[in-house]
Amino acid sequence: MRTMKLTGQVVALAAVAGLLGLLIWRLTHQSKPPKIGGPAPAFSLKRVDTSGTLDLASLRGKPVVLNFWASWCVPCKGEATMLEQASREYRSQGVVFLGVDFHDVTGDARKFLEHHGVTYPTVQDGSGAVADRYGVSAVPETYFIDRRGRLVGEHILGTVVHAKDAFRRGVEAALAS
Amino acid sequence: MILRAGAVVALALAFAGPAAAACAHPRTSLSYLEGQVMCPTCHTTLDQSDSAAARRIEAFIQTRIDQCATADQIKSELVANFGAGILAAPPHKGFDLLAWWLPLGGLAAGALLLGFGVWRWSRAQMPEDRTPPVDDETERRLDELLARLD
Repeated sequence: MRTMKLTGQVVALAAVAGLLGLLIWRLTHQSKPPKIGGPAPAFSLKRVDTSGTLDLASLRGKPVVLNFWASWCVPCKGEATMLEQASREYRSQGVVFLGVDFHDVTGDARKFLEHHGVTYPTVQDGSGAVADRYGVSAVPETYFIDRRGRLVGEHILGTVVHAKDAFRRGVEAALAS
Repeated sequence: MILRAGAVVALALAFAGPAAAACAHPRTSLSYLEGQVMCPTCHTTLDQSDSAAARRIEAFIQTRIDQCATADQIKSELVANFGAGILAAPPHKGFDLLAWWLPLGGLAAGALLLGFGVWRWSRAQMPEDRTPPVDDETERRLDELLARLD
């Protein structure tokens, strides 16, 4: 009887320890939005515009404009043309525009790219895991990454059409370092 | 007259054909899948969401239903696109099995603990047998008495 009681106590303690462990793991693994000046969260995602994957690390050494969007997002439609024009404008200076299609159906995303004539690379974050690491709360959102892979400028919440100055400053900050 | 009737029938068939195109299996429905698929931006099932993302996913599901895709096929495609989190219920395989079995295991363990507790409690309520043990001499004498009675 004493052994059974002891076994019960050990099982109960193990269960509590397990739950406590889960809680600690969850608290320590919660995604925190990256800081400006800090490293841009790494990712490797499937491309939407073509086959294969694209690793952010492969763009190290180039300034990157990272734009999170979705085909179902109305403001994203409004900024698509401006982003495409800007990508052409800054291409000669080595700036890479990278679209991240967020929580979207692949077919819809491809139609969107075709409809808006987007020519820069676009990857798909279907589960939203990468957007989560960047602290994206809604689309569109735009980040600027410098040649050393650090986030620079100010991250633009909402369409870049209404934040043209911040957008230009962001690209220049990415180019400057 | 016959020509006109023929033309009407041909037109009716042309329009009715695609809509009534039979699938090799029973066609699933949007309302069936809406309760099993999550809206990734609002974290509710599609039938409880009116977000733009939910509406696009519903449109995708309806298109695939029209193309005779089965519910499992559609769910697999959604998982490939959005990850396993798109499903309201976790899949019955791998690590996700824990989500199904842990609650059942917990219930079973709870039932066992409860049973054990009730058993112990009922034993504690029973009066103890305080009869002193019978020694060999007394037992022998009792046997003799009983034998005489026979």
